[in-house]
Amino acid sequence: MKRFKNSVLVKKMGLNRVVLLGVLILMYIIFTVLSPDFMNYSRILSALNYAYFLGFLAFGVTFVIGTGGIDFSIGPVMFAASLIGGQLLTKNGLPTILCLLVSICVGMLFGVLNGFLVAYCSLPSFITSMAIMQLAKGVGSVFTKTQSISWPQGAEANGWYRNLIKVNIGGMQVPTGLIILLIAAVILSAVLTRTKAGRYILCIGSNREAVRLSGVNVKKWEMLAYIICGTCAGIAAIFYVGAYTTVQPGLGDTFNNEAIAGCVMGGTSMAGGLASIGGSFIGVMIVSLLQEGILAMGFQKDYQYLITGIIVICAVYADIRSRRRRN
Amino acid sequence: MGEVILTMKGIDKSFPGVHALDHVDLEVKKGEVHALMGENGAGKSTLMKVLTGIYKKDAGTITYEGADVEFNNPRDAQAAGVVIVHQELNMLGHLSVAQNIFIGREIKKGGLIDDGAMNAEAAKLFEKLNININPREKMSRLTVGKQQMCEIAKAISHEAKVIVFDEPTAALTETEIEELFKIIRDLRSKELGIIYISHRMDEINVITDRVTVMRDGGYVGTLITKDSIKDDIINMMVGRVIYEDPKTQSMVPADAPVVLKVENLSAGKMVKDVSFELKKGEILGFSGLMGAGRTETARALFGADKKESGDIYINGAKVEIHNPMDAVQHGIGYLSEDRKRFGIITEKTVAENSTLACLEEYMSGVFINRAKENKVAAEYVEQLKTKTPGVDQLVVNLSGGNQQKVVIAKWLIKDCEILIFDEPTRGIDVGAKSEIYHLMSELAAEGKSIIMISSEMTEILRMSDRVIVMCEGRKTGEIEIAEATQEKIMHAATMRN
Repeated sequence: MKRFKNSVLVKKMGLNRVVLLGVLILMYIIFTVLSPDFMNYSRILSALNYAYFLGFLAFGVTFVIGTGGIDFSIGPVMFAASLIGGQLLTKNGLPTILCLLVSICVGMLFGVLNGFLVAYCSLPSFITSMAIMQLAKGVGSVFTKTQSISWPQGAEANGWYRNLIKVNIGGMQVPTGLIILLIAAVILSAVLTRTKAGRYILCIGSNREAVRLSGVNVKKWEMLAYIICGTCAGIAAIFYVGAYTTVQPGLGDTFNNEAIAGCVMGGTSMAGGLASIGGSFIGVMIVSLLQEGILAMGFQKDYQYLITGIIVICAVYADIRSRRRRN
Repeated sequence: MGEVILTMKGIDKSFPGVHALDHVDLEVKKGEVHALMGENGAGKSTLMKVLTGIYKKDAGTITYEGADVEFNNPRDAQAAGVVIVHQELNMLGHLSVAQNIFIGREIKKGGLIDDGAMNAEAAKLFEKLNININPREKMSRLTVGKQQMCEIAKAISHEAKVIVFDEPTAALTETEIEELFKIIRDLRSKELGIIYISHRMDEINVITDRVTVMRDGGYVGTLITKDSIKDDIINMMVGRVIYEDPKTQSMVPADAPVVLKVENLSAGKMVKDVSFELKKGEILGFSGLMGAGRTETARALFGADKKESGDIYINGAKVEIHNPMDAVQHGIGYLSEDRKRFGIITEKTVAENSTLACLEEYMSGVFINRAKENKVAAEYVEQLKTKTPGVDQLVVNLSGGNQQKVVIAKWLIKDCEILIFDEPTRGIDVGAKSEIYHLMSELAAEGKSIIMISSEMTEILRMSDRVIVMCEGRKTGEIEIAEATQEKIMHAATMRN
C-alpha cells in the first residue's frame, strides 16, 4: 500500500486523482458487466457529448472556487449565451462564426459583471452569483421573447460548427470535441498552475488578506477568475448546442450542481486555495458516464442525481480528511 | 514538590519529512512548576499536543497518576484532569464569562440553561482563585489578560491536576503577569503539576522549580532552576552562549538623510496625530504597552487601514498611499505581527510564499520561472537559516519561528528600502532571535531603514538607534538610544494625558 502511495503515478497526479481515475474505470467496468451491450461506441460518444459542455462549465468554475468563492450562474449564463447567439444566427441571419463569438462574449460579460460585484463591491459570491443567475435567465428570455432557439443541424450550410463536436471521417465518428476539451484542459491547467494569474488566484483563496498585505492587486485577480468562468460558460454554450441543438429560456440550473460536483470530486476545495483542472476533468467524466449509464440501464435521471450526490459527499469527506492529516 | 504525577518516556512522533519528537522524556511532580524550553522547532508544542491527545504518538509511554494512559482527544485528557491553557485563547466572545467556563456542560434547570446557577458557581471559582472578574461580563469586553484568567479558571473547574501553560505571558501587561504568577503559586501550593512553556528567561527564574530543555525534537536535559544560571539553559538550547548587550549609541551618522517622514497621521481611535521621521540606515524602535496603537500606526502608514489624515514623504517627496499596493510600490514592506493570519499562505510552499511580493520578477514570458524562484528561495533559506527540508515544503508544516523567517525572506527578496517589522521575534526562540537581530543590523548597515515595533524592552534597548514611545494612540516620547533607559521608556509608555 505504501509502495503504491509513493509510486511515480501517485506522486505526479496526487492520490486523490488516482483514486478518482480508478472510480471512473470501475464504473465503466460495472456498467459493461451489468449491461453487456452498454459500451458500444455510440454510447461513449453520447456520454462525451454531455462531458464537453459540462467540462467547460467545470473548468471555469474551478477558478472561482479556487478564490474561495462560488458561481451559481454558470448554467443559465451558458443558456443565455446560446439563446442570444442562436437568435442572431437563425432569426437575424448573421454568419455562424460571428454568433459563436457572440456566445463567448455574452458569457464573458456576465463574468465581468459577476466579478466586478464580488471583487470590487465586496458582495458575497454566494448571493451575487445567484442574482446573476436570475439575471441571465431573464436576459436570455427577453432577448428571444421567451422563444426557444434551435441551432442549425450539421447538414445545413451554417451547421459547420458541429464539426467542433464530431467529425465523420470515412464512416467513423471522430469525437473532435474531446480533442478540443483536452487542449482546453491543458491550457487552463497551465494557467492555473504556472502563470501569475493562477498563482494569485489560489493564494487569494487560501489567505486573501496576506496576499493584499503583500502588495498584490487582489481585486483585479479575483475578478479575473470570474471573467474566466463566464467565458468558459460562453464556450460551453457552443458545445451544448452542438450536441443538443435546442435551448430553452429559464433553464440551466441543474448543470450548476453537476459542474461543481465534478470540481469537488476532482479535489478542488470549497474553502479555496486548492484547485485542479485535471481533477475537474475526471470528475466531469464520471458525472457524464454516470448519467449515460443510468439512462442506458433504463433508470430515471433521478438515480443519477442520487448517485452523484453520494459520490460528492464521499469526495468532500476524503478532501477534508486529507487536509486534517496534512495540518 | 511531591511525588511524580506525570511521566512521558521515550515519546517519538514523525510527520512527513519531519522527525518532530525523538525519544523525549518529561517528568512532572505534584506541586511543581516545570518549565519546558527550547528553540522554535524544538518540539515543545508537539509534545504537549501528544500529551493532550491532539496528536497520536508513534512510540513511548505516558504514565499519569500511576497508570499508563493514551488520550484520544483533548476532551478525554480534560476529563482526566490534564488541561492546556493555549497561547491563542479559545474563548467565545459573544458569550458571558460564566457561559464560557461551563461550555459543553451547562448547568440546567428543567431542561433550560440556568444562568443564575452558572454565575454563582463561576463566582465561587473566582473567589477560590483570588481573581476579580464579573461572571456576567461579556467575554469580548475583557482584556487579553483577564480572558486568560478565565481560561485558567475553566481549567481548574475541570478538576485539573496537570495544567500546561503555553507562552502565557506573551500578551500580558506587567501587572497582569504578577497576578498570573500569584495564581500559579496558588495552584502549586494546591499540589497541581504545572508545565510552563516560555521563552522569557527572567520569568523562568522567578516562577519555576525545574527546567527541561529540548532541542531539534530531542531531549537535552533537566535542571533545577535555583541551581542553574541563564547561560546553562541557553547553552543547552543552542549549544552556544549569547550575550544580550544593550546598544549604547546610535549607528546612524548625523548627516544621514531622512527617508521617511510622517506628519499628523490619524486613523480611528488608535492613531492620534502621530508624526515622526526615519533616517537612512536607522533602526527606529517603537515601544509601548499593548494597545498603544503602534501596529495601527504601521498599518495606516502601509495603507492597510484607512487613515483620516496624514502626509507621508519618502526621500523628501510627498507620496499617496491608499492601499498596500501603493506602499509596496514605494519600497515599503510590512511584516505583520500575526503571521498566521496576515503573513503566510498556508497551502503554498516556502518558495511560493517567498516571491509573493515581487512575482513579476520571476516570470519567463507568461509562465512563472520556477527554477529562478526556487533558487532565490533557497538562497534566503540558507541566509536566514530557516529550518525546512526544502523550498518545496508547505509552509504550514514549518514551526512558527521558521514561518516567520519565510515572511521576512519575502520582504527581503522584494528588496524594500523601508521595512516595518511588527514584533519580529514574537514566539521565536533565543537562537533564531539572535539570527534575526544580526540580520536587522546587517540590513541597516547596508542602508535599509527599519521601523521595529516591539513589546520586549531588552529588544528595544538592544536594537534601536532611536526609540519612539506611544501610549493610547499618541506619540509620547522620542529618545536617542544613548539616553534611553527602561524607566524613561516605561514612563512615556504609561503617560496618559
